[in-house]
Amino acid sequence: MALLQKIVTWARLKSPWILHFNSGACNACDIEIVASLTPQYDVERFGVQLKGTPRHADVLVCSGPVTRQIKDRLIRIYEQMPQPKFVVAVGTCACSGGVFKGCYNVTAGIDTVIPVSAYIPGCPASPTAIIDGVVKLLASLEATEEKAPEPVAAEE
Amino acid sequence: MHWSSILWALFQILIFPGLLFLVALALAAEFVDRKLYARLQNRLGPPWFQPLADLIKLLAKQEVVPDLADKFMFVVTPMFALTAAVTASFYIPIWSHQALCSFPGDVIVVLYLLTIPTITFFLGGWYSRSVYSMIGAARSIMQLFAYEIPLFLAILAPALLAGTWSLSGMSLFYAHRPLLSLLNLLGLAIALVALLGKLERVPFDAPEAETEIVAGSFTEYSGRLLALFRLAIDVEMVVGASLLAAVFLPFGMDFGPVAGFGLYLAKILAVISMLSLMRTLFARLRLDQMINFCWQIAAPLAFVQLMADLVAKGTIARGVMIP
Repeated sequence: MALLQKIVTWARLKSPWILHFNSGACNACDIEIVASLTPQYDVERFGVQLKGTPRHADVLVCSGPVTRQIKDRLIRIYEQMPQPKFVVAVGTCACSGGVFKGCYNVTAGIDTVIPVSAYIPGCPASPTAIIDGVVKLLASLEATEEKAPEPVAAEE
Repeated sequence: MHWSSILWALFQILIFPGLLFLVALALAAEFVDRKLYARLQNRLGPPWFQPLADLIKLLAKQEVVPDLADKFMFVVTPMFALTAAVTASFYIPIWSHQALCSFPGDVIVVLYLLTIPTITFFLGGWYSRSVYSMIGAARSIMQLFAYEIPLFLAILAPALLAGTWSLSGMSLFYAHRPLLSLLNLLGLAIALVALLGKLERVPFDAPEAETEIVAGSFTEYSGRLLALFRLAIDVEMVVGASLLAAVFLPFGMDFGPVAGFGLYLAKILAVISMLSLMRTLFARLRLDQMINFCWQIAAPLAFVQLMADLVAKGTIARGVMIP
Protein backbone atom coordinates (compact mmCIF):
# COMPACT_ATOMS: atom_id res chain seq x y z
CA MET A 1 0.00 0.00 0.00
CA ALA A 2 2.92 2.32 0.77
CA LEU A 3 4.23 1.84 -2.77
CA LEU A 4 0.78 2.56 -4.22
CA GLN A 5 0.57 5.74 -2.15
CA LYS A 6 4.00 6.78 -3.43
CA ILE A 7 2.94 6.25 -7.05
CA VAL A 8 -0.25 8.26 -6.51
CA THR A 9 1.69 11.10 -4.87
CA TRP A 10 4.16 11.11 -7.76
CA ALA A 11 1.31 11.28 -10.28
CA ARG A 12 -0.36 14.15 -8.38
CA LEU A 13 2.87 16.15 -8.32
CA LYS A 14 3.50 15.58 -12.01
CA SER A 15 0.04 16.49 -13.24
CA PRO A 16 -1.46 19.58 -11.56
CA TRP A 17 -4.38 20.81 -13.64
CA ILE A 18 -5.37 24.35 -12.80
CA LEU A 19 -8.54 26.37 -12.89
CA HIS A 20 -8.22 30.13 -13.10
CA PHE A 21 -10.79 32.14 -11.16
CA ASN A 22 -10.99 35.91 -10.90
CA SER A 23 -12.40 36.74 -7.48
CA GLY A 24 -12.63 40.47 -8.06
CA ALA A 25 -9.12 41.36 -9.25
CA CYS A 26 -8.28 44.45 -11.30
CA ASN A 27 -7.21 42.06 -14.14
CA ALA A 28 -3.48 42.70 -13.81
CA CYS A 29 -2.88 39.41 -12.00
CA ASP A 30 -5.17 37.62 -14.47
CA ILE A 31 -3.10 38.87 -17.38
CA GLU A 32 0.04 37.63 -15.63
CA ILE A 33 -1.57 34.22 -14.98
CA VAL A 34 -2.54 33.95 -18.63
CA ALA A 35 0.97 35.09 -19.62
CA SER A 36 2.48 32.29 -17.53
CA LEU A 37 0.41 29.76 -19.54
CA THR A 38 1.79 30.92 -22.91
CA PRO A 39 4.42 28.98 -24.91
CA GLN A 40 7.01 31.49 -23.63
CA TYR A 41 6.99 29.84 -20.18
CA ASP A 42 5.59 26.45 -21.33
CA VAL A 43 4.16 25.16 -18.04
CA GLU A 44 3.18 21.92 -19.79
CA ARG A 45 6.80 20.93 -19.04
CA PHE A 46 5.59 20.42 -15.46
CA GLY A 47 2.32 18.82 -16.56
CA VAL A 48 0.30 21.96 -15.79
CA GLN A 49 -2.78 22.32 -17.98
CA LEU A 50 -5.48 24.98 -17.84
CA LYS A 51 -8.93 23.40 -17.52
CA GLY A 52 -12.26 25.08 -18.01
CA THR A 53 -14.27 23.17 -15.44
CA PRO A 54 -13.74 22.76 -11.67
CA ARG A 55 -14.48 19.03 -12.02
CA HIS A 56 -11.20 18.48 -13.89
CA ALA A 57 -9.04 20.81 -11.80
CA ASP A 58 -6.64 20.06 -8.94
CA VAL A 59 -5.45 23.59 -8.20
CA LEU A 60 -7.70 26.64 -8.01
CA VAL A 61 -5.69 29.73 -8.96
CA CYS A 62 -7.47 32.80 -7.55
CA SER A 63 -6.65 36.45 -8.03
CA GLY A 64 -8.15 39.43 -6.29
CA PRO A 65 -9.66 40.36 -2.92
CA VAL A 66 -12.93 38.50 -2.60
CA THR A 67 -15.77 40.90 -3.30
CA ARG A 68 -19.08 40.27 -1.60
CA GLN A 69 -20.66 39.56 -4.97
CA ILE A 70 -18.15 36.85 -5.84
CA LYS A 71 -17.87 35.27 -2.37
CA ASP A 72 -20.70 32.74 -2.78
CA ARG A 73 -19.57 31.85 -6.30
CA LEU A 74 -16.00 31.26 -5.10
CA ILE A 75 -17.22 28.91 -2.37
CA ARG A 76 -19.43 27.11 -4.88
CA ILE A 77 -16.59 26.66 -7.41
CA TYR A 78 -14.35 25.40 -4.60
CA GLU A 79 -16.96 22.88 -3.51
CA GLN A 80 -17.43 21.65 -7.08
CA MET A 81 -13.80 20.54 -7.26
CA PRO A 82 -13.16 16.88 -6.43
CA GLN A 83 -10.72 15.96 -3.63
CA PRO A 84 -7.75 16.38 -3.26
CA LYS A 85 -7.76 20.09 -4.12
CA PHE A 86 -5.53 23.07 -3.44
CA VAL A 87 -5.91 26.82 -3.66
CA VAL A 88 -3.26 29.30 -4.76
CA ALA A 89 -3.76 33.00 -4.01
CA VAL A 90 -2.06 35.12 -6.70
CA GLY A 91 -1.28 38.77 -6.01
CA THR A 92 -1.19 40.95 -2.93
CA CYS A 93 -4.97 41.49 -2.98
CA ALA A 94 -5.63 37.75 -2.97
CA CYS A 95 -3.14 37.25 -0.14
CA SER A 96 -4.40 39.95 2.22
CA GLY A 97 -6.84 42.28 0.52
CA GLY A 98 -4.07 44.68 -0.51
CA VAL A 99 -5.11 48.26 -1.07
CA PHE A 100 -8.75 47.21 -0.79
CA LYS A 101 -8.35 45.91 2.77
CA GLY A 102 -11.02 47.41 4.99
CA CYS A 103 -13.28 48.46 2.11
CA TYR A 104 -16.97 47.84 2.72
CA ASN A 105 -17.38 45.69 -0.42
CA VAL A 106 -14.54 43.18 0.00
CA THR A 107 -13.48 40.50 2.44
CA ALA A 108 -9.75 40.64 3.08
CA GLY A 109 -8.13 37.94 0.96
CA ILE A 110 -9.00 34.46 -0.27
CA ASP A 111 -8.19 32.75 3.05
CA THR A 112 -11.06 34.49 4.78
CA VAL A 113 -13.40 32.41 2.58
CA ILE A 114 -11.68 29.14 1.60
CA PRO A 115 -8.47 27.43 2.82
CA VAL A 116 -5.38 28.55 0.87
CA SER A 117 -2.28 26.40 0.33
CA ALA A 118 0.10 28.89 -1.30
CA TYR A 119 0.40 32.68 -1.30
CA ILE A 120 2.10 34.47 -4.20
CA PRO A 121 2.45 38.21 -3.44
CA GLY A 122 3.13 40.91 -6.03
CA CYS A 123 1.18 43.71 -7.64
CA PRO A 124 0.84 42.07 -10.09
CA ALA A 125 2.66 38.79 -9.38
CA SER A 126 5.00 38.11 -12.30
CA PRO A 127 4.68 34.88 -14.32
CA THR A 128 8.01 33.61 -12.95
CA ALA A 129 6.76 34.23 -9.39
CA ILE A 130 3.53 32.35 -10.15
CA ILE A 131 5.39 29.35 -11.56
CA ASP A 132 7.78 29.47 -8.58
CA GLY A 133 4.81 29.50 -6.21
CA VAL A 134 3.18 26.49 -7.86
CA VAL A 135 6.48 24.57 -7.80
CA LYS A 136 6.88 25.39 -4.08
CA LEU A 137 3.33 24.25 -3.43
CA LEU A 138 4.08 20.92 -5.10
CA ALA A 139 7.32 20.56 -3.11
CA SER A 140 5.45 21.17 0.14
CA LEU A 141 2.85 18.58 -0.89
CA GLU A 142 5.59 16.03 -1.40
CA ALA A 143 6.90 16.74 2.10
CA THR A 144 3.54 16.69 3.86
CA GLU A 145 1.50 14.16 1.90
CA GLU A 146 -1.24 12.60 4.07
CA LYS A 147 -1.32 15.69 6.30
CA ALA A 148 -3.02 18.97 5.49
CA PRO A 149 -0.49 21.05 3.51
CA GLU A 150 1.14 23.95 5.32
CA PRO A 151 0.77 27.35 3.67
CA VAL A 152 3.84 28.35 1.68
CA ALA A 153 4.84 31.78 0.37
CA ALA A 154 6.71 32.41 -2.86
CA GLU A 155 9.40 35.02 -3.23
CA GLU A 156 8.25 38.18 -4.86
CA MET B 1 -12.75 -26.03 -24.36
CA HIS B 2 -9.50 -26.96 -22.65
CA TRP B 3 -8.47 -24.74 -19.74
CA SER B 4 -5.14 -23.75 -21.31
CA SER B 5 -6.90 -22.40 -24.38
CA ILE B 6 -9.17 -20.37 -22.10
CA LEU B 7 -6.11 -18.98 -20.30
CA TRP B 8 -4.49 -18.19 -23.65
CA ALA B 9 -7.64 -16.37 -24.79
CA LEU B 10 -7.73 -14.40 -21.52
CA PHE B 11 -4.05 -13.51 -21.96
CA GLN B 12 -4.76 -12.28 -25.49
CA ILE B 13 -7.76 -10.22 -24.40
CA LEU B 14 -6.30 -8.69 -21.23
CA ILE B 15 -2.59 -8.38 -21.89
CA PHE B 16 -1.26 -8.85 -25.42
CA PRO B 17 -2.45 -7.65 -27.89
CA GLY B 18 -5.46 -6.73 -25.80
CA LEU B 19 -6.19 -4.21 -23.07
CA LEU B 20 -2.80 -3.67 -21.41
CA PHE B 21 -0.85 -3.45 -24.67
CA LEU B 22 -3.44 -1.09 -26.17
CA VAL B 23 -3.40 1.15 -23.09
CA ALA B 24 0.41 1.39 -23.25
CA LEU B 25 0.24 2.14 -26.96
CA ALA B 26 -2.52 4.71 -26.41
CA LEU B 27 -0.53 6.55 -23.73
CA ALA B 28 2.53 6.54 -26.00
CA ALA B 29 0.37 7.90 -28.83
CA GLU B 30 -0.93 10.70 -26.60
CA PHE B 31 2.63 11.58 -25.64
CA VAL B 32 3.78 11.65 -29.29
CA ASP B 33 0.81 13.83 -30.17
CA ARG B 34 1.34 16.31 -27.32
CA LYS B 35 5.13 16.45 -27.73
CA LEU B 36 4.88 17.02 -31.49
CA TYR B 37 2.24 19.70 -30.94
CA ALA B 38 4.52 21.42 -28.39
CA ARG B 39 7.60 21.22 -30.61
CA LEU B 40 5.66 22.68 -33.53
CA GLN B 41 4.73 25.59 -31.22
CA ASN B 42 8.44 26.10 -30.36
CA ARG B 43 8.18 24.88 -26.78
CA LEU B 44 9.60 21.90 -24.92
CA GLY B 45 6.41 20.03 -24.23
CA PRO B 46 5.54 17.42 -21.59
CA PRO B 47 7.93 14.70 -20.38
CA TRP B 48 7.42 11.14 -21.64
CA PHE B 49 5.51 9.96 -18.56
CA GLN B 50 2.96 12.80 -18.71
CA PRO B 51 -0.06 10.78 -20.03
CA LEU B 52 0.66 8.04 -17.45
CA ALA B 53 0.86 10.58 -14.60
CA ASP B 54 -2.41 12.17 -15.76
CA LEU B 55 -4.09 8.75 -15.87
CA ILE B 56 -2.90 7.67 -12.39
CA LYS B 57 -3.79 11.03 -10.88
CA LEU B 58 -7.31 10.91 -12.32
CA LEU B 59 -7.76 7.29 -11.19
CA ALA B 60 -6.86 8.32 -7.62
CA LYS B 61 -9.10 11.39 -7.54
CA GLN B 62 -12.54 11.63 -5.99
CA GLU B 63 -15.33 11.16 -8.54
CA VAL B 64 -18.29 13.49 -8.24
CA VAL B 65 -21.66 12.42 -9.62
CA PRO B 66 -23.97 15.45 -9.88
CA ASP B 67 -27.30 15.22 -8.06
CA LEU B 68 -29.28 15.98 -11.18
CA ALA B 69 -27.46 13.44 -13.35
CA ASP B 70 -28.83 10.01 -14.18
CA LYS B 71 -26.51 8.00 -11.89
CA PHE B 72 -26.55 4.74 -13.86
CA MET B 73 -25.98 6.22 -17.32
CA PHE B 74 -23.41 8.69 -15.99
CA VAL B 75 -21.25 5.89 -14.57
CA VAL B 76 -21.78 3.28 -17.27
CA THR B 77 -21.07 5.29 -20.44
CA PRO B 78 -17.28 5.72 -19.94
CA MET B 79 -16.90 1.94 -19.58
CA PHE B 80 -18.83 1.36 -22.80
CA ALA B 81 -16.60 3.85 -24.60
CA LEU B 82 -13.39 2.07 -23.58
CA THR B 83 -14.81 -1.42 -24.17
CA ALA B 84 -15.98 -0.61 -27.69
CA ALA B 85 -12.66 0.96 -28.68
CA VAL B 86 -10.65 -2.00 -27.33
CA THR B 87 -12.97 -4.59 -28.92
CA ALA B 88 -12.60 -2.97 -32.34
CA SER B 89 -8.84 -3.58 -32.24
CA PHE B 90 -9.29 -7.38 -32.18
CA TYR B 91 -10.57 -7.38 -35.78
CA ILE B 92 -7.76 -5.26 -37.23
CA PRO B 93 -4.73 -7.06 -38.70
CA ILE B 94 -1.64 -5.59 -37.07
CA TRP B 95 1.65 -7.34 -37.89
CA SER B 96 0.37 -10.20 -40.00
CA HIS B 97 -2.50 -10.51 -42.44
CA GLN B 98 -4.50 -12.45 -39.89
CA ALA B 99 -6.25 -10.40 -37.22
CA LEU B 100 -6.88 -11.88 -33.76
CA CYS B 101 -10.51 -12.55 -34.69
CA SER B 102 -11.76 -12.30 -38.21
CA PHE B 103 -14.90 -13.18 -40.13
CA PRO B 104 -16.38 -12.01 -43.44
CA GLY B 105 -18.01 -8.66 -42.66
CA ASP B 106 -15.78 -7.55 -39.80
CA VAL B 107 -15.02 -4.20 -41.49
CA ILE B 108 -18.64 -3.22 -40.85
CA VAL B 109 -18.37 -4.36 -37.24
CA VAL B 110 -15.20 -2.34 -36.70
CA LEU B 111 -16.73 0.81 -38.20
CA TYR B 112 -19.78 0.48 -35.95
CA LEU B 113 -17.72 -0.33 -32.85
CA LEU B 114 -15.74 2.85 -33.49
CA THR B 115 -19.04 4.76 -33.61
CA ILE B 116 -19.98 3.66 -30.08
CA PRO B 117 -17.53 6.03 -28.27
CA THR B 118 -19.18 9.03 -29.95
CA ILE B 119 -22.61 7.74 -28.92
CA THR B 120 -21.37 7.39 -25.34
CA PHE B 121 -20.03 10.98 -25.42
CA PHE B 122 -23.55 12.00 -26.39
CA LEU B 123 -25.27 9.88 -23.74
CA GLY B 124 -22.80 10.78 -20.99
CA GLY B 125 -23.11 14.48 -21.76
CA TRP B 126 -26.87 14.31 -22.07
CA TYR B 127 -27.41 12.47 -18.77
CA SER B 128 -25.06 14.87 -16.94
CA ARG B 129 -27.95 17.35 -17.08
CA SER B 130 -25.59 20.31 -17.23
CA VAL B 131 -26.14 23.08 -19.77
CA TYR B 132 -22.62 22.90 -21.18
CA SER B 133 -22.49 19.14 -21.40
CA MET B 134 -25.90 19.02 -23.12
CA ILE B 135 -24.72 21.49 -25.77
CA GLY B 136 -21.55 19.45 -26.20
CA ALA B 137 -23.58 16.24 -26.47
CA ALA B 138 -25.86 17.70 -29.14
CA ARG B 139 -22.84 18.94 -31.07
CA SER B 140 -21.03 15.60 -30.97
CA ILE B 141 -24.06 13.67 -32.24
CA MET B 142 -24.57 16.27 -35.01
CA GLN B 143 -20.92 15.95 -35.99
CA LEU B 144 -21.32 12.16 -36.08
CA PHE B 145 -23.73 12.46 -39.00
CA ALA B 146 -21.27 14.67 -40.87
CA TYR B 147 -18.04 12.66 -40.72
CA GLU B 148 -19.42 9.11 -40.71
CA ILE B 149 -20.58 9.26 -44.35
CA PRO B 150 -17.19 10.14 -45.90
CA LEU B 151 -15.43 7.74 -43.50
CA PHE B 152 -17.67 4.78 -44.35
CA LEU B 153 -17.46 5.49 -48.11
CA ALA B 154 -13.68 5.89 -47.97
CA ILE B 155 -13.18 2.59 -46.10
CA LEU B 156 -15.80 0.60 -48.01
CA ALA B 157 -14.56 1.62 -51.49
CA PRO B 158 -11.29 -0.37 -51.12
CA ALA B 159 -13.35 -3.25 -49.73
CA LEU B 160 -15.46 -3.25 -52.92
CA LEU B 161 -12.36 -3.46 -55.09
CA ALA B 162 -10.89 -6.23 -52.94
CA GLY B 163 -14.17 -8.12 -53.13
CA THR B 164 -14.17 -8.98 -49.44
CA TRP B 165 -15.78 -7.50 -46.33
CA SER B 166 -13.07 -8.76 -44.01
CA LEU B 167 -10.17 -6.50 -42.97
CA SER B 168 -7.74 -9.42 -42.97
CA GLY B 169 -8.80 -10.32 -46.51
CA MET B 170 -8.47 -6.70 -47.62
CA SER B 171 -4.93 -6.34 -46.30
CA LEU B 172 -3.95 -9.62 -47.99
CA PHE B 173 -5.46 -8.45 -51.30
CA TYR B 174 -3.69 -5.08 -51.34
CA ALA B 175 -0.35 -6.38 -50.05
CA HIS B 176 -0.11 -8.59 -53.13
CA ARG B 177 -1.31 -5.83 -55.48
CA PRO B 178 0.54 -2.69 -54.27
CA LEU B 179 -0.27 -0.75 -57.45
CA LEU B 180 -3.98 -1.06 -56.76
CA SER B 181 -3.64 0.50 -53.31
CA LEU B 182 -2.17 3.60 -55.00
CA LEU B 183 -5.68 4.03 -56.39
CA ASN B 184 -6.95 4.52 -52.81
CA LEU B 185 -4.76 7.51 -51.88
CA LEU B 186 -7.75 9.86 -52.14
CA GLY B 187 -9.63 7.56 -49.76
CA LEU B 188 -6.72 7.71 -47.30
CA ALA B 189 -6.84 11.51 -47.25
CA ILE B 190 -10.63 11.53 -46.71
CA ALA B 191 -10.40 8.90 -43.98
CA LEU B 192 -7.70 10.94 -42.20
CA VAL B 193 -9.92 14.02 -42.19
CA ALA B 194 -12.91 11.99 -41.02
CA LEU B 195 -10.78 10.45 -38.25
CA LEU B 196 -10.10 13.98 -36.99
CA GLY B 197 -13.86 14.43 -36.69
CA LYS B 198 -14.28 11.07 -34.98
CA LEU B 199 -11.64 11.92 -32.37
CA GLU B 200 -13.16 15.41 -31.90
CA ARG B 201 -9.83 17.07 -32.49
CA VAL B 202 -8.95 20.47 -33.94
CA PRO B 203 -10.29 21.62 -36.43
CA PHE B 204 -13.38 19.51 -35.62
CA ASP B 205 -13.37 20.02 -31.85
CA ALA B 206 -16.59 22.05 -31.61
CA PRO B 207 -18.15 19.37 -29.30
CA GLU B 208 -15.56 20.01 -26.59
CA ALA B 209 -14.59 23.58 -27.42
CA GLU B 210 -13.11 24.66 -24.09
CA THR B 211 -13.27 28.35 -24.96
CA GLU B 212 -17.04 28.22 -25.59
CA ILE B 213 -18.67 25.39 -23.69
CA VAL B 214 -16.18 24.60 -20.89
CA ALA B 215 -15.41 20.96 -21.76
CA GLY B 216 -18.47 19.86 -23.74
CA SER B 217 -19.79 16.42 -22.84
CA PHE B 218 -17.09 15.91 -20.20
CA THR B 219 -17.89 19.06 -18.18
CA GLU B 220 -19.32 17.15 -15.21
CA TYR B 221 -16.97 14.17 -15.36
CA SER B 222 -14.20 13.84 -12.81
CA GLY B 223 -11.82 11.26 -11.37
CA ARG B 224 -11.97 7.70 -12.62
CA LEU B 225 -14.83 8.27 -15.06
CA LEU B 226 -12.94 11.09 -16.78
CA ALA B 227 -9.82 8.89 -16.88
CA LEU B 228 -11.82 6.18 -18.69
CA PHE B 229 -13.15 8.67 -21.23
CA ARG B 230 -9.68 10.10 -21.90
CA LEU B 231 -8.26 6.61 -22.24
CA ALA B 232 -11.09 5.66 -24.60
CA ILE B 233 -10.25 8.61 -26.87
CA ASP B 234 -6.56 7.67 -26.88
CA VAL B 235 -7.33 4.01 -27.63
CA GLU B 236 -9.71 5.14 -30.36
CA MET B 237 -6.89 7.20 -31.87
CA VAL B 238 -4.60 4.14 -31.97
CA VAL B 239 -7.33 1.85 -33.29
CA GLY B 240 -8.35 4.38 -35.94
CA ALA B 241 -4.72 4.74 -37.03
CA SER B 242 -4.38 0.93 -37.15
CA LEU B 243 -7.55 0.71 -39.25
CA LEU B 244 -6.17 3.21 -41.78
CA ALA B 245 -2.82 1.37 -41.76
CA ALA B 246 -4.52 -1.99 -42.39
CA VAL B 247 -6.80 -0.75 -45.19
CA PHE B 248 -4.59 1.77 -47.00
CA LEU B 249 -0.98 0.81 -46.12
CA PRO B 250 -0.95 -3.01 -45.82
CA PHE B 251 2.75 -3.45 -46.69
CA GLY B 252 5.51 -5.39 -45.02
CA MET B 253 3.23 -7.81 -43.20
CA ASP B 254 4.98 -10.83 -44.78
CA PHE B 255 8.39 -10.15 -43.21
CA GLY B 256 7.65 -11.97 -39.97
CA PRO B 257 6.34 -10.71 -36.63
CA VAL B 258 9.28 -8.51 -35.58
CA ALA B 259 9.69 -6.54 -38.81
CA GLY B 260 5.92 -6.47 -39.24
CA PHE B 261 5.48 -5.05 -35.75
CA GLY B 262 8.15 -2.38 -36.34
CA LEU B 263 6.51 -1.39 -39.60
CA TYR B 264 3.13 -1.27 -37.86
CA LEU B 265 4.51 1.14 -35.26
CA ALA B 266 6.02 3.28 -38.05
CA LYS B 267 2.69 3.34 -39.90
CA ILE B 268 0.57 4.40 -36.91
CA LEU B 269 3.26 6.93 -35.96
CA ALA B 270 2.90 8.43 -39.43
CA VAL B 271 -0.91 8.61 -39.11
CA ILE B 272 -0.74 10.14 -35.61
CA SER B 273 1.87 12.68 -36.77
CA MET B 274 -0.47 13.73 -39.58
CA LEU B 275 -3.26 14.18 -37.02
CA SER B 276 -1.10 16.39 -34.76
CA LEU B 277 0.17 18.35 -37.75
CA MET B 278 -3.43 19.18 -38.69
CA ARG B 279 -4.17 20.08 -35.06
CA THR B 280 -1.33 22.60 -35.18
CA LEU B 281 -2.18 24.04 -38.58
CA PHE B 282 -5.91 24.64 -38.30
CA ALA B 283 -8.25 26.59 -36.06
CA ARG B 284 -11.62 25.35 -34.87
CA LEU B 285 -14.41 25.21 -37.46
CA ARG B 286 -17.97 26.13 -36.56
CA LEU B 287 -20.40 23.21 -36.63
CA ASP B 288 -22.15 24.41 -39.80
CA GLN B 289 -18.81 24.87 -41.57
CA MET B 290 -17.81 21.37 -40.51
CA ILE B 291 -21.04 19.80 -41.79
CA ASN B 292 -20.88 21.74 -45.06
CA PHE B 293 -17.29 20.62 -45.55
CA CYS B 294 -18.09 16.97 -44.91
CA TRP B 295 -21.23 16.81 -47.03
CA GLN B 296 -20.25 19.12 -49.89
CA ILE B 297 -16.56 18.32 -50.31
CA ALA B 298 -15.51 15.16 -48.46
CA ALA B 299 -18.54 12.99 -49.29
CA PRO B 300 -18.50 13.75 -53.09
CA LEU B 301 -14.75 13.06 -53.13
CA ALA B 302 -15.41 9.77 -51.38
CA PHE B 303 -17.95 8.99 -54.14
CA VAL B 304 -15.23 9.71 -56.72
CA GLN B 305 -13.06 7.19 -54.87
CA LEU B 306 -15.90 4.66 -54.94
CA MET B 307 -16.38 5.17 -58.71
CA ALA B 308 -12.64 4.79 -59.35
CA ASP B 309 -12.61 1.51 -57.44
CA LEU B 310 -15.68 0.22 -59.29
CA VAL B 311 -14.16 1.12 -62.69
CA ALA B 312 -10.91 -0.60 -61.71
CA LYS B 313 -12.85 -3.67 -60.63
CA GLY B 314 -14.73 -3.72 -63.95
CA THR B 315 -11.57 -3.43 -66.06
CA ILE B 316 -9.88 -6.17 -64.05
CA ALA B 317 -12.92 -8.42 -64.46
CA ARG B 318 -12.85 -7.90 -68.26
CA GLY B 319 -9.14 -8.66 -68.34
CA VAL B 320 -8.20 -5.23 -69.73
CA MET B 321 -5.90 -4.50 -66.80
CA ILE B 322 -4.00 -7.15 -64.90
CA PRO B 323 -2.79 -5.97 -61.48
